[in-house]
Amino acid sequence: MVDFPLNDLSGFRPQDGNWSIVGETAMDLNKDVHHFGNEGITVKAGTGILINRNSEAMKSNLLTIMEHGDMEIEFEFMMPKGSNSGFYLQGRYEVQLYDSWGSKQPKYSDLGGIYRNWETEKDKIYMGKAPLINAAKAPGLWQKMYISFKAPRFDATGKKVANAIIKLAKINGAIVHENVELPLPTGGAINNMEVAKGPILIQGDHGGVAFKNIKYRLMENEAASVSNVTYKYYKGPYSYEKDYVNKKPDKVGSSPEGLTWEMAEVKNFFALHLTGDIDIPSDGNYYFSAIHNSNLSLYIDGDTVIKNKRAWDWDPPTKGSIELKKGKHKMDLFYSRADAWVQPSLGLFIASDKMQSTPLHTFSSLVHREAIYPMYVDADDKPTILRAFLDFNQDLSLRRSHTIGVGDPSGIHYVYDYDLGAISCIWKGNFVDATPMWNSRGDGSFRPEGFPIYLDNTLQMDLLVSENQKFNSMIAEDQYTPKSYVINPFTKTPVFHYEIAGMKVKDEIYPDVITNSLIREVVIEQDTLPKHLSFRVAHGKSIMPLEEGFFNIDGKYYVKMETTNHYYIKESGDEKELIATLNIPKLRYSLIW
Amino acid sequence: MNQNIKMKAALFYFFSFAFMLQVVAQEDPSSVDDFVAKLNQAEENYYKIINIPVPENLLLEIGGVATLPDGRVAVSTRRGDVWLIENSESYIMNGKPHFKLFASGLHEALGCAYKDNALYVAQRGELTKLIDNDGDDVADVYQTIYKWPLTGHYHEYSYGPALAPDGTFFVTGNVSFVDPEWWRGVSAVPMRGWTMKITEDGQMEPWATGQRSPCGLGIIDGELFYTDNQGDWVGSGGVWHVKKGAFLGHPAGLVWTDKIENSPVKLTQDELYAVIDKRQKKNDQGDFIKPENETNETAVLFADLKEKFPEVQSPAVWLPHGIFGISNSQILQDNTSGKFGPFAGQILVGDQGQSKIMRVDMEVINGEYQGVVFDFKQGFQSGVLRMDWLNDGSLFVGMTNRGWGSAGNRDEGIQRLIWTGKMPFEMKTVKAMPDGFQIEFTKPIDPQTFLKTASIEAQSFAYKYHPVYGSPPVNNEPLKIQGMKISEDGKTVRLVINNLRKNYIHELRLNDVKSADGEALLHQVGYYTLKNIPEGEKLAATDLVKFRSGMKTAAKSTTKTETKPKATAVASNTKKQPEPVDVKAVNKLLQKYTCFACHNADKKLVGPPYKEIAKRGYSDAKIVELIYKPNPKNWPDYATEMAPMPQVPKADALKIAAYINSLK
Repeated sequence: MVDFPLNDLSGFRPQDGNWSIVGETAMDLNKDVHHFGNEGITVKAGTGILINRNSEAMKSNLLTIMEHGDMEIEFEFMMPKGSNSGFYLQGRYEVQLYDSWGSKQPKYSDLGGIYRNWETEKDKIYMGKAPLINAAKAPGLWQKMYISFKAPRFDATGKKVANAIIKLAKINGAIVHENVELPLPTGGAINNMEVAKGPILIQGDHGGVAFKNIKYRLMENEAASVSNVTYKYYKGPYSYEKDYVNKKPDKVGSSPEGLTWEMAEVKNFFALHLTGDIDIPSDGNYYFSAIHNSNLSLYIDGDTVIKNKRAWDWDPPTKGSIELKKGKHKMDLFYSRADAWVQPSLGLFIASDKMQSTPLHTFSSLVHREAIYPMYVDADDKPTILRAFLDFNQDLSLRRSHTIGVGDPSGIHYVYDYDLGAISCIWKGNFVDATPMWNSRGDGSFRPEGFPIYLDNTLQMDLLVSENQKFNSMIAEDQYTPKSYVINPFTKTPVFHYEIAGMKVKDEIYPDVITNSLIREVVIEQDTLPKHLSFRVAHGKSIMPLEEGFFNIDGKYYVKMETTNHYYIKESGDEKELIATLNIPKLRYSLIW
Repeated sequence: MNQNIKMKAALFYFFSFAFMLQVVAQEDPSSVDDFVAKLNQAEENYYKIINIPVPENLLLEIGGVATLPDGRVAVSTRRGDVWLIENSESYIMNGKPHFKLFASGLHEALGCAYKDNALYVAQRGELTKLIDNDGDDVADVYQTIYKWPLTGHYHEYSYGPALAPDGTFFVTGNVSFVDPEWWRGVSAVPMRGWTMKITEDGQMEPWATGQRSPCGLGIIDGELFYTDNQGDWVGSGGVWHVKKGAFLGHPAGLVWTDKIENSPVKLTQDELYAVIDKRQKKNDQGDFIKPENETNETAVLFADLKEKFPEVQSPAVWLPHGIFGISNSQILQDNTSGKFGPFAGQILVGDQGQSKIMRVDMEVINGEYQGVVFDFKQGFQSGVLRMDWLNDGSLFVGMTNRGWGSAGNRDEGIQRLIWTGKMPFEMKTVKAMPDGFQIEFTKPIDPQTFLKTASIEAQSFAYKYHPVYGSPPVNNEPLKIQGMKISEDGKTVRLVINNLRKNYIHELRLNDVKSADGEALLHQVGYYTLKNIPEGEKLAATDLVKFRSGMKTAAKSTTKTETKPKATAVASNTKKQPEPVDVKAVNKLLQKYTCFACHNADKKLVGPPYKEIAKRGYSDAKIVELIYKPNPKNWPDYATEMAPMPQVPKADALKIAAYINSLK
């Protein structure tokens, strides 16, 4: 991916002036553009952020000078309350940008939806498509969008032979479209004729919007292919090519169907040395990606790309890369099987900086017969508690083992770390995917569905005796003991009880539908409190105070302090921390995202 | 009802493995498991089933499948839901389909069609249009396009819609069954047993009648076709061309021809029963007797009635019961222009009971559709009910078996079928010729393998038209093949046959025919429904090559060479020294007549092991009698009744009996 520089507007066509480049921006969570116009938007001079602040006089759309066909693009965006914009791929297919915060059943007109068009003739109507989930965050927070787009294909006469496709669209990490065809341009396209290449258009007449960190990858409509595949087939359980490459093969032949393992006479205990010509469309760096059961080696023109890799088809793909010039090259692929307990499968994909990932194997060479049927747990009817391991930051090395997921019909969920009395993560949407723990032996963990924000994997309470003391240095984790959780009879949500450093604590976390937030009330159940007892409410690279008691943490979420504790922002190394002093035994704050 | 189901189950079990005969095994298979494994393995090389990762608690008892313009698939279920499935084409481990509940609360939605941004489903009692006004992928409007009466009997299923080229909807309706004659399908209220043509604004045109269980509708070449299931009056399942005004066979719907407005069918039940006995007989106690097959009667074929009743429309392609399904479902034309393999333009037919898909190819002779059926792909996880194409040329298959069981052991689900890109060696099609048939192969054949006398077994037979549940094959006659002509490129063979019979089903079974590069035929048998014999030039005798007898199998084959065939004693009452039984020859008979499906020498399968039968001490003649007319009371521990097998020739039955008795 390359950066789309936002130092100035030189990458764009002339516009009315509603678009500009700034260094920083903030948008008030509560000021709706319909009532306040651009009042809620503040900026600081600088570069790196593209922002639209339209008015009656200035409200043009923005067009890039660059035109794209197949493309991958990702960017961060921020929307003020009530705003409405749109991101048009090739200027013709709109992915809606909208303040859909809190919307329950998203439509085609909500954030991430593919917009409809306004045609009335039967064959020309396109009704758009709603996003799979509503992944919208609160106004004023930075959100992320990723789109992998495949342009329509035309034959030699210019007739369209394949629709444009959104291969994948994600908002804040959650999938909103996957392999969806776009049969027609959406409403407001720059032109209703579909094309091989077109510019990006961003809507500017309906409300403010800001962008930063735009990265993209343009791809050509070119492909690599394999031909003249021949094979040498060896019977026997082989793991490494050196074990069989010099033996006399049991069978040789050609494979007119292409690259596959299927010419093997048995499903296991065999090895194949496949050779073929690989045709490379242009000079460049080529990335190979293989999904396979058992052992694989790959050489191009005798150079090693993948060496003796033993893997399973549910592992992350095996990768290797090599620089190649345009034209035909010789490919040697060694595939061997010595494991009876899995089916053979072999998939080899090739991509380059400007070429879509294309399969080089036959359709049926990589076929997963044993589909895993996902097991989702929902909290649609009532608050649902489910205990499972959680990979903090989705990092296996940071796996937490005493974590409890709490889901709610409101769609606001969190995981509580019962080893720490901390909130591990928060998210909205569907509850959890329990397949990792309930499929076969499983690994004991679940995954929050959607886009969790990871918060804490350390104690949130400490005694801050001296000024520059680092948090978590006085009270140790072994001074914490979980006690119980009690189900609140009205809300049916859990209230956690634990002991820390000899004190009894009650920790109640529950969603508030009206403010679309998660409220936390921590109560120390004793009369006298030790001096310097502190609670780290939030921490991150940046904590921006907005109004009194209202903070923006890293642009990811807001914290609203709702008790009379003394609180302050502390610098700690390259991080900032929002600390509340527990001078009174109660602390209450809410998380808004 | 019990009886019906038991009978159906028995026939199902008996014949459910018959189709396996169509794989040429390298060796004579010694067991049922062997058969299944070999056929599975063979078909897998060309067409593979892919499992779709469906969330475990999502019940997809599929009633309808429709692909949408943006690549998503809409499915309707028997539980009344409609789901939108996104990314169902993903087959790489990390890609998962996404499911969205579009509509729910429908009453057994057995079909789903997309038109102009709305989905249409036939529920039990109405054709419903589902509209999503606000674009959130959830239906807001459930509009009644047209409703029809029901008595509330469970069997009155309604299927469809099939979208006609003019934008109207075809919907069909099952008959029901009432006491005391619970075996006799009736049309208690209008449009049961009928096809309806319904417009967007709710106008209903009665289109045709004579249907019993019209589950599979499909538009082929712009025309409506459907499949019916074996039952009373319906000798076997088949594919029918539903012309306007047609009488398709089952008399139930005829009660309305003179009562409903603008019925295109004029034939009345009385007129039909004046010619065909409906066998409504009572016993001495005054109870109705269920009609059973009469073995010594002259068979009347449904097609025979066409002269007297021009509205009669017999099947375009019969799907011989048990061999080609027991509950045929959806028909779908291959319009993938080659992405799905070499059978573009041909028709796939699903089967619920046997969990498989068959392949039909039709031609028009003298204005009528007729054609051939072959096996195609078995091994789906449940009963195949509905299918549609995905944009990548793969087939999306929707399944359910609740209430009837299936060969596949799961209750429901969805799977995909893809072509591996490899060209199978198959009979691509069979066409009728003025003097026989022309078989076209997907690859050139090895002519030597075709010229052996034993290379082709052919016979013709028909099904009876009578009020009995189903019909055994009758009037079997071996085909007299005068000679053949093999084309220069080896891809077509013309068979000249002396005794073609109009309206008969012609079975062409190729044994040991190999392709030029030594490949065995993937499926060996095709059944051609010869409604009309085309006019045209016949081949001259001098063009023909005759079969050569006495040709030995090629030395390079790995099949065991045939041992000296030895007939076992045609035993009867004389006590003889037991003669050595030629097990290999008997094995072939056990395959041919599908005994394998339920019996094994030692193991209890659906039916008792031969060893147990031998212990009963029946004479060979008695065993033959029991093959023709089984007595379930002899085996109270076995839940499934054996179906009568009157079609096994006596000589063969005696050989089998002798074999069984040799196991004492």
